[in-house]
Amino acid sequence: MKVNIKIMVNGDPYFVQVSPFRTLLDVLREDIGLTGTKKGCGEGECGACTVLMDGKPVNSCLFLAVQAEGKEITTIEGLAAGNLHPVQEAFVAKGAIQCGYCSPGFILTAWALLKTNPHPTEEEITTAISGNICRCTGYQKIVEAILDAAQRLQGGVGNV
Amino acid sequence: MRLRDCKEVLEMSEFNIIGKRVPQKDAVEKSTGAAQYVTDLKLPGMLYGKILRSPYPHASILCIDTTRAKRLPGVKSVITFSDTPQIKFGPLVDDWYILAKDKVRFIGEEVAAVAAVDEDTAREAIELIRVEYEELPAVFTPGEAIQPGAPIINPEYPNNVVSHFKVERGDVEQAFREADLVIGDEFYANQVYQAYMESMACIAQSDGRGHLTLWLPSQVPSKTRMSYAKALGIQPRDIRVIRPHVGGGFGAKMEYDADLICALLATNTGRPVKIVNTRMEDFEAGNPRVPMSFDLRLAFKKDGTLLAKDLKALAGNGGRTVYGPAIMSTACYRIDSLYRIPNLRADGRLVYTNTVPTACFRGFGNAQATFALESLLDMAAHELGIEPAELRIKNSFNNGDTSPHGWFISTSGLADTIEQATQAAGWNDKKRNKTTRRGIGLACTNHVSGNRGFYRPFDGSSAILRVGESGQAVLIQGEAEIGQGQNTVYAMLAAEAAGLRYEDVTVAQVDTLIGPFGLGSFASRGTVLGGQAVIAAGKDAKRKLLAEASSMFNIPVEKLDIREGVVCRLPEQTKMATVAEVASHYMFRQGGCPLTGEGVYVPDTVVPDPVTKIGNISPVYCFATHIAEVEVDTETGQVKVLNYFASHDVGKILNPVGLEGQVEGGVVQGLGWALMEDMVTVNGKVQNPTFLDYRIPGVRDIGKIHVSFVETNDPKGPYGAKGIGEPALNPVTAAVANAIYDAVGVRIKSLPITPEKILAALEHTCML
Ligand code: FES
Ligand code: FES
Repeated sequence: MKVNIKIMVNGDPYFVQVSPFRTLLDVLREDIGLTGTKKGCGEGECGACTVLMDGKPVNSCLFLAVQAEGKEITTIEGLAAGNLHPVQEAFVAKGAIQCGYCSPGFILTAWALLKTNPHPTEEEITTAISGNICRCTGYQKIVEAILDAAQRLQGGVGNV
Repeated sequence: MRLRDCKEVLEMSEFNIIGKRVPQKDAVEKSTGAAQYVTDLKLPGMLYGKILRSPYPHASILCIDTTRAKRLPGVKSVITFSDTPQIKFGPLVDDWYILAKDKVRFIGEEVAAVAAVDEDTAREAIELIRVEYEELPAVFTPGEAIQPGAPIINPEYPNNVVSHFKVERGDVEQAFREADLVIGDEFYANQVYQAYMESMACIAQSDGRGHLTLWLPSQVPSKTRMSYAKALGIQPRDIRVIRPHVGGGFGAKMEYDADLICALLATNTGRPVKIVNTRMEDFEAGNPRVPMSFDLRLAFKKDGTLLAKDLKALAGNGGRTVYGPAIMSTACYRIDSLYRIPNLRADGRLVYTNTVPTACFRGFGNAQATFALESLLDMAAHELGIEPAELRIKNSFNNGDTSPHGWFISTSGLADTIEQATQAAGWNDKKRNKTTRRGIGLACTNHVSGNRGFYRPFDGSSAILRVGESGQAVLIQGEAEIGQGQNTVYAMLAAEAAGLRYEDVTVAQVDTLIGPFGLGSFASRGTVLGGQAVIAAGKDAKRKLLAEASSMFNIPVEKLDIREGVVCRLPEQTKMATVAEVASHYMFRQGGCPLTGEGVYVPDTVVPDPVTKIGNISPVYCFATHIAEVEVDTETGQVKVLNYFASHDVGKILNPVGLEGQVEGGVVQGLGWALMEDMVTVNGKVQNPTFLDYRIPGVRDIGKIHVSFVETNDPKGPYGAKGIGEPALNPVTAAVANAIYDAVGVRIKSLPITPEKILAALEHTCML
């Protein structure tokens, strides 16, 4: 049995027919074709599938697509139109991206943190990204990038 | 971006781009989600494949019934052994079939497979396949597997020993007799999982006339064609491999059986087929690290001079052979190029077990051996009353030395890295003012940049640099970026050598239909071997550009130079043209053929002799020193890494961002292995095949990492550089073990160093 649902992703409406058990992650990647959201585990343990749901970071592999009805979903593709968002700029500039498979998840998590807390301490950053795993970078440059992004968002030195 | 004027570019330092902090070439597309990985790709009409894997560690297959699976609507193909070419193959030992023939040798072995219109249907079909097994006695550890009477896993190897490596130099017995100190112990380096974030994946497409295209996240795109052609009974020319972005590999992503299953399903159905491992499949049937136990003895003079090393190794191969033999032999003797030890003996065995096949993981056996040697050296330093740093400096190889196995160490920065790391860590201060439960530990490593023995037909690399009519350049090569930043360094080297602007150089994704045969990413070889080829291609392009400019302006070649995309006249430093103008002039004069630089690098490495093992496997050798500073909670046994210092002899710093990234990532991966990671296997079944139960380090599990570099400017490295990937991880486990000993006086000799082991050891210490 499939159900018809409408979900709003990056400001656009999508009408999809899905099994009631299909995850939001699979719908985003497979049905809608927004593959910027990654699947690292499918079980809520890595954060690669992070999207914003009404502005809050969630693991899209833990949500059923039907639960996303009526919510605003933002994926990495929707973070900035055309130019890079300052968080993306900072991740690029600081070398926080190696293989890049974890990067969309980290970037969206960082975006959400900076939205509610524009001047996070290193400790607060660490807490915010503790649900995301990265096997390449060793995290240090990711933390630096988020600190740098905070500055860029304040129109600080980095924002040129 | 504007072109600079000649005065500016000519008066820049020796290098225009080398040594600058350059973010990854493709970081922007990775940051926007635009970068496409194999897992992201979808071809028209694509089917989804699933594999039925063995639930038993060792069993005969009596019969397989696929009728119900075949009848399920949406199923397009169901295959078992009889549908395969039935050819034995394997990267090193021919003990693979694409699907199990009459028995299975590990839980997770591939028994049957289906292709269906979607993943759900494929999964359902897999559940409808009935297999009747008869369980066989199984054996799970190398120690048990070599006992007489142990179950035999591969009848061609009646004692379960897949490979036996022996080497001896000097007179080991005499050295031990004459030594002032003999010290020995047993160490265990456990099985760990690479945990790249993109699990193993493949898309295969057949053209119906026997030609296959495979999209693979492969570290060895060209080499897989050779093994896969054999397995499929076709020619390498019938296989095209395209390697899009890769979500990490760390050694695991070489030959993988699911790729071949995917290829067969695609051939059978005439449609593209995609197979992606679930994370659990990846844990249970990936290519994890070769577990090894060591019995290591060292002999010293009173003054700390190393006289002899005697090593016995026992390594677990799993149920079939991936790269275990090469990894085990590496563990036996690669480390002998770290310290001058005249008398050496190693005896290693690699043994079949009914567990997941084991393979390459950053460090390739040297990481395992480094844990043993660097732990034992620390123990020896205590016995001898010599500072750990001093003991190592005393024995370290120097520039121009040759190891007893024939390896020529053109440059060694080992002593300098020891100096640099101890300074950075404030070693002496911390030793003097030791606080309780805090400790500091040091470990060194050596490594190769390339491995001449790994692929016998050749060593080296090649590259093509094509400069188009707008001065844009495409670098075509067959090496494999897997996320480590290799393409960025290649673009920098190409730009530097050809005189182009960095931003004008694009690095093409690997496509074996077009590019050269690249050996790929292993043995930390990319920077050195691939890099030398890229420089050669850049120089060739520059030579052609200069010749063209010379004839355009009627100025002798010696009076011209090209830097940063502009052609300058010397010594006046006047701008004659842009590279775009010269390249388009060339192209239009040549019937549209772009100006192309070709670069070849063939190192003077020597394949180790099969009998004597004398050879010289790498053009340059890397060295590093790591220092861990930890705090141990004696109530809980928890270890907190407070600070970590890593100093690496990188030959020459090409891109500091990339180097730091490799070292920071390698250190954290090593910390995971040292303290957390363990594939817990009971009766052949992995008990913790999820990130919840198999924890890899998160941001909260690590301390501050301080990275520094020593430049030895190796004459054989690209602009003097050496490799970095593996040495970044090798010494971490020993540095941590040594720090824990310094902190609380317990010596843990088996990885990972869990709180339980520490508590047990602490209890034992109190009783003494
Ligand atoms: S894929 Fe969702 S948390 Fe890993
Ligand atoms: S960059 Fe590869 S997992 Fe984070």
